[in-house]
Amino acid sequence: MIRVQSVTRTYGATVAVDDISFHVGAGQIVGFVGPNGAGKSTLLKMLATFLRPTAGSVAVAGFDTVTDALQVRQRIGYLPGDTPLYRDMVVEDLVRFVGAAHGLLGGALEAAMARVIDMCDIAPVLSLRVRECSTGFRQRVGLSCALIHDPPVLLLDEPTHGFDPLQVMAFRDLLTRLKQDRAILFSTHIIADVEAVSDRVLIIHQGRLLGDGTLAELEQRTGAPGLENIFAQLVSAGAERRP
Amino acid sequence: MAGIRLVARRELGAYFDSPIAYITAAVFLVLAGTSFMNSFFLQGVIDMTPFFETLPYLLIPFVPALTMRTWSEEHAQGTVELLLTLPLLPLQLVIGKYGAALLYFALILAGSLPIVGMLSWLGAPDLGLILSGYLGAFLLGALFLAFGQFLSSLTHNQIVAFALGALLACVLVFSGHPSVVEVIDGLAPTWQPGTVMADAISCLPHYEAFVGGLIGLDHLLYFLLLSAFFLWLTQVGLRRIQY
Repeated sequence: MIRVQSVTRTYGATVAVDDISFHVGAGQIVGFVGPNGAGKSTLLKMLATFLRPTAGSVAVAGFDTVTDALQVRQRIGYLPGDTPLYRDMVVEDLVRFVGAAHGLLGGALEAAMARVIDMCDIAPVLSLRVRECSTGFRQRVGLSCALIHDPPVLLLDEPTHGFDPLQVMAFRDLLTRLKQDRAILFSTHIIADVEAVSDRVLIIHQGRLLGDGTLAELEQRTGAPGLENIFAQLVSAGAERRP
Repeated sequence: MAGIRLVARRELGAYFDSPIAYITAAVFLVLAGTSFMNSFFLQGVIDMTPFFETLPYLLIPFVPALTMRTWSEEHAQGTVELLLTLPLLPLQLVIGKYGAALLYFALILAGSLPIVGMLSWLGAPDLGLILSGYLGAFLLGALFLAFGQFLSSLTHNQIVAFALGALLACVLVFSGHPSVVEVIDGLAPTWQPGTVMADAISCLPHYEAFVGGLIGLDHLLYFLLLSAFFLWLTQVGLRRIQY
């Protein structure tokens, strides 16, 4: 469902993503771990067609993100980092707007609304303006926008940002329910989130992919127990390799 | 078309949600009305021409105040990422926002219709001339809205967008003002740069043709092509974000 092939992205002289390749199949949750500024958001922006790769290619559901951007956008649910939403819009209007932009009308839109209101538990804030919602609710509204059209690919940038522990647990449960027939790629720097729900882990540091595999595979490869230790070992080894 | 309507509806909602838009509209109508009434009482003629003659100068600050937030707010709040990852073309976004601004402007312009009612009650104004004047005013506003939107797409700062919009409006209007043309012509009488500039870039001669009751194809094309050019530039700018 997601195929990233030798992708590089530069901002002027700065290399944000450096020759990364991986793929994510349907029914998989892949956690994307890295420190701040590692290149996670840039990679997700490229998958979501917001940015173009400087080199390499990205395909989502078989469509190239540059040449078939509209096809890709119809098939992704994207939650950008910092959850940019129209702060002055009423929550219900905003989710409807995103649904309608995905071509949902009439009964289909009503059914989709009922589904995401229940799934993301946003009923208490439906009539509020986005600016009146707490950070956790804003995140859930963003998630509703990403899920309204029932996309086969989910791209979530720091999805648990602003969640309290109960909301984090509910979110992990939601991801597990959503993963059937879907490819889910989410970025985070919270190791526990990745350990709890990911089938596979991608570790990125300074724009380079340092690790790709299941937790067991990465433990075997590095000899370090637990994702935290794996992460620390790969990042320090990666830093040593760089000039 | 559905995408354009959707964006226009959201944008129109944002206009009616903002107190600034109401205040700006009220100030504009009060200024336009009082300036007309002043000349009406002084001249005592059943004619709306003084209203249309003042209009370009009032639009210099008024239209940029309407358009300054169009894209700069999207950039500043990050919602441009939400918009550009929806399955909508940049041109649909630009035309949708432009359509909403045009409709809002037309509504405000319609706020001056009581003047027509008053003149009709007092005597027999030339309704053809008034209609032509309104068409000119609408086209002038359409041009200002188009470049206002373009300039707003260049910056994250609404104040900068306003200043750039007002500056360009000043250039387009004052380059055709007789006093300015005379002064510039005086700098090089042989070349008459003021007249050349007025003929080449100013919107004033084209607008004044409408106010005088002359609906010429050249004047129509000036407004339509220049507005289309700025809209095209805006969508090119949006596509450039990806690079």
